[in-house]
Amino acid sequence: MAEEIKLTLPPEAEYRHRPRKVQEVKEIEINSREDTLDLNHPDVRPWPVTPAPSPDWVMENLYKPRHAEEFGKWCEDNLRKDYAHLKPEALQGYRVLEVGTWKESGPFACSLLAELGAEVIKVEPPGGDPLRKLTPFGREEYMLKDTYTGEPCGLAFIHECRNKYSITLNLDTEEGQEMFKGLAASADVIVEYYPPGYMDERGLSYRYLSKINPRLVYAWTGEVGQWGPWKDEVSKFGQPMLDPFGMVACSWVHNTGFPPDLLPREMGGNPTRSGPWFADFTAGEQVAVSVLAALYWRDEFSGEGQFIEVTSAEALMDILDFDITWYGFNASIKARTGSWDPNLNQYAWNPCRDGYMMIGGQTDRLWYRIGMCIERDYPEFGRLIGEDPLLKEMGARNALEALTKTYTLTTRWLRNICRYEAEQKLLEYEVAAGPVLFIDEVSEFPHFKYRPWVDTIEDEHYGTILFSYPPDGYQMRTPARVKWLGRPLGKDNYEIYMKYLGIDQWKLRELEEKGVV
Amino acid sequence: MCDIIWCKKVKEDGTVCNTVNYLDPFNFWNWEGTIACAECGTVYYIHMIQGWMYRGPEEQPPGTKPDILPVYADKPLEGYVRYRPGVEGRTRPYLCLPRDIYLGVPDPRRFSIRGYPVRGWPNQPPSTGIAGSAGFKWEIEKLSPEVWQEFLEKKKKGEVRDW
Amino acid sequence: MLIKQGKKGLDKKFERIPLEDQPGPKSQEEMDEMKMPYEEYCRKVFDVGNEFVKPTALKGIRWLSTTMYIFTPHSVTNLAELGAEVIKIEMPRMGDPMRHTSPFNEAYVYPLHDTRPMTGTGVACFNANVNEYYISMDYHREEIKEAFYTLVRMSDGLTQCYRPGTFDRWKQSYRYLQEINPRFISVWGGGFGYGPKIWGGSYDILGQAHAGLASITGFHEDFGGHPTKSTNWNIDWYSGTQITVAILAALLWRRKTGLGTKIEFSQVQASTRCLEYGVPLYGRFGIVRQRWGNWDTQLCVHGIIICGKSDYPNDKNPQLRDEARYVMVSAFNDPDFKELCNVIKRPDLYEKYKTHKQRVEAEAQVEIYHELEKWAADKSRSEVTRILKDAGLLAMPVYNDKEVYESPHFRQRGTVRWQADPWYGDAVVHSTYSAGLMSKTPRRKFWDLRPVGGDNVKIYHELLGIPLSTIKEWYEKTII
Repeated sequence: MAEEIKLTLPPEAEYRHRPRKVQEVKEIEINSREDTLDLNHPDVRPWPVTPAPSPDWVMENLYKPRHAEEFGKWCEDNLRKDYAHLKPEALQGYRVLEVGTWKESGPFACSLLAELGAEVIKVEPPGGDPLRKLTPFGREEYMLKDTYTGEPCGLAFIHECRNKYSITLNLDTEEGQEMFKGLAASADVIVEYYPPGYMDERGLSYRYLSKINPRLVYAWTGEVGQWGPWKDEVSKFGQPMLDPFGMVACSWVHNTGFPPDLLPREMGGNPTRSGPWFADFTAGEQVAVSVLAALYWRDEFSGEGQFIEVTSAEALMDILDFDITWYGFNASIKARTGSWDPNLNQYAWNPCRDGYMMIGGQTDRLWYRIGMCIERDYPEFGRLIGEDPLLKEMGARNALEALTKTYTLTTRWLRNICRYEAEQKLLEYEVAAGPVLFIDEVSEFPHFKYRPWVDTIEDEHYGTILFSYPPDGYQMRTPARVKWLGRPLGKDNYEIYMKYLGIDQWKLRELEEKGVV
Repeated sequence: MCDIIWCKKVKEDGTVCNTVNYLDPFNFWNWEGTIACAECGTVYYIHMIQGWMYRGPEEQPPGTKPDILPVYADKPLEGYVRYRPGVEGRTRPYLCLPRDIYLGVPDPRRFSIRGYPVRGWPNQPPSTGIAGSAGFKWEIEKLSPEVWQEFLEKKKKGEVRDW
Repeated sequence: MLIKQGKKGLDKKFERIPLEDQPGPKSQEEMDEMKMPYEEYCRKVFDVGNEFVKPTALKGIRWLSTTMYIFTPHSVTNLAELGAEVIKIEMPRMGDPMRHTSPFNEAYVYPLHDTRPMTGTGVACFNANVNEYYISMDYHREEIKEAFYTLVRMSDGLTQCYRPGTFDRWKQSYRYLQEINPRFISVWGGGFGYGPKIWGGSYDILGQAHAGLASITGFHEDFGGHPTKSTNWNIDWYSGTQITVAILAALLWRRKTGLGTKIEFSQVQASTRCLEYGVPLYGRFGIVRQRWGNWDTQLCVHGIIICGKSDYPNDKNPQLRDEARYVMVSAFNDPDFKELCNVIKRPDLYEKYKTHKQRVEAEAQVEIYHELEKWAADKSRSEVTRILKDAGLLAMPVYNDKEVYESPHFRQRGTVRWQADPWYGDAVVHSTYSAGLMSKTPRRKFWDLRPVGGDNVKIYHELLGIPLSTIKEWYEKTII
């Protein structure tokens, strides 16, 4: 008989798994919301609230029943996040300058590179990136204060400032421009997201820097473009264009949302933007792709850098399915369809007893499995769906009437059950199904905690922070990882300027006084 | 009967209506009002809360004006006679559509909006290559000469544009 | 300007470098390049429309794509657009199920096909698998195993999307492949990966729903809204691109070590990654970020409003007649907001909400956007845009597909263009070129999908040297 396969963590990873210390019970008087803020601190209300399943449990209940013990063990041994810090970093040795303010695109691009090991130096104006000051609904109590200085910083900024060094530099001063050129001379990559022409006016755009450093890969990213009839604008008072302008310009917003046929306009049946600045995220990752491809070409073939431009509007248009192609086919202008997808059936979320439940399964194999699952509780579903000749053909199931019929009857089943029940029932039939989860539920979902997809980090300046773990972090050799989160403004001035420009601290003090850094 | 109204009204000719009217989940999840059966026009009062029929369907006296019509209804017992969206007086027109017309079936196109040929119609001749192999040229003159001719005429008439 | 500044700061550093090697323009042409207006310089350096005279970044990389739908295919499409040679492998006669997707069942193209002449290829599968060679292969059959392994020996990597353990059962997982090609980079993309939900299948929409994006997209529950699905399969595409990031990093690492790797990527997780402040806000304060419709939680005014009149009141297309009346307005800085209040003749609003902190509060946002919509009630969206732009403020209509197609901006930048696909005919391309302009190794697109098994001879015979008679026999037995 084969030896029993067990999952064990190696001793060198053990200390990363020390259980949190149990907090003592304290009597606290609550008079206002402010008194409750500290109660939610991770030291008091730890995450996760309930522990994730153990690897042994997963082996016993998931891998074994499918005879996948060996495969499961191989994955856990080679891919687990717990080992990430024991492995080398893929982009070690590449130096990236991140220059700009306000946006999420450039920062996300640099986060991806920094998570994979590049040395990212974020260059901010001496006053800091205004994004540091942003907080939802202006609530300053939701900003995190630096342990040493008490300086508050917004969570959106902290979350995207991962593994990055922060330096300040005033690019409006001549000395600042010279120092920037000095940094550029030895950098591999610059990711810039100022308004069009901002760097050029200061003699710091690609056409100048490439003369100093021909190996430089320089990427600009913005909302719609740095050239062309709709190029990014700045208001006459200096306000830049930010996402969702990118989403708006490529018809993504027009095509997203509930149609008034399903939801009256006054309740939200309008074109709808994405909650996050999603166009910026898409642009950011394409910046990372283009930069890495350019580095590969430079190192493998040519030794030359190049100029890259990625815009939020176009990067989102790149992934806008087939929408503009469809217009070219028969002048269709994609309309909103709410949470139903007009291309696949089933492929939607619909209301259920305690929220919304997503069910997907387009091929015949999955379509009939969904039917079998629902029929068990609700036989009429089989009578009306399974037997309808219109619904037997994969393509025909996407007609509007077919969607209406399918989702009406599916919801008739869903309204009886909660998301969790629906998920369990559908998973029995191996249907891709999942609940619409809110962020607290996401953070506590067993699988997500197990991997984990959200994780805590103890930051020197901002305390324990729950954050989204990089999806590129599950690799055999060089997984992405988060080493620190958030950085006080200019924390690394002295180190970076000394290391890369040879500016000693007496000189830097002078520059500080002059407002250069 | 809840998210559907299976109309069992006995019609004047003595037959049972037997039409299933589908009340789509987003519109009717919380909804109160009157709705007419797509086939026989019988008006029902319904009050739905969280997808459940809190009251109804209650038949209303003839002549009641319905607040809304179903988007779709069909008759499963009679070979699936269908009332698709926008049948006047029977189903609700669906307004938020990509074009002024709604097909629900493939739109056989021979030309793109700028007038160049598109292989958008079914039953093309079979592949001739070995093991399904295909080349890199659409031999349209040979395979679909009538479309090629039409294209040449369009070109002559200036109906083929760059954009 | 540069020369002057350059001298001052860089003299010391470059004093030993011969004059001709020192920074600065070296020819009249370079001099001109530095003098031309910046916009013109950008046009010149990207030289849109002439992509094919330049090299590609990933020349010489060969990748296998045993993928379906959008997510994993897109991770490879990025490589193919950047110059890698990609071989897409599909099940014989069936092909990628994405071929059967079409909006409302209305738009199909019909390639030559031996088996199902009445079944088209839905336009919905365009843009996800471009520039690839298509072969068919039934991995279950013993006869084909050697061909698969040979392809692995000859390639740099593979992306696959089968349920976890399936490729392992077929002895095609990285455990086995690293033995025959240590440089091989093997990617699995799927929903969940190892762990308690390992067997859960996944789609884009599952990622949107399951991991948080849906919970913060759409109108607030209090206004009657629901979690809203993004129009596109955005988690598919967006997580596919993140795989490409990992692949390219792995290629760069391989240059140093000669070793391949295994990448496991869960698309559902990618949705959690783009929640901005959502996760830390919950972690520290127990506050759960909610939907906030077309407004912004961190900036005000920075939102989309509805105008009273359509820009095309008489057009028969409902998207133009009824829907072309939304506009994006942005004036969050103090002077911008002040000007906006003046424009809508409500200076009192500015007096009431003088600081950004005041106007970004939820109640203030409700009031401000309500007033903006009241002002726009008798105007069309182009009027609103024009008035605001004339006042020096930022505004943009919510454009639709037709307007994007007709946009001079995207045309000039080459990010929307027509292409004669060799197989499907005339098609608008709005992908590939739009993913990013590169001055020296631009992306490019040759063709979109090819028929199932369209390159069987090219790959099995011409690359692997399998006799044509064997290929024909395999085809008859549906091995390929």
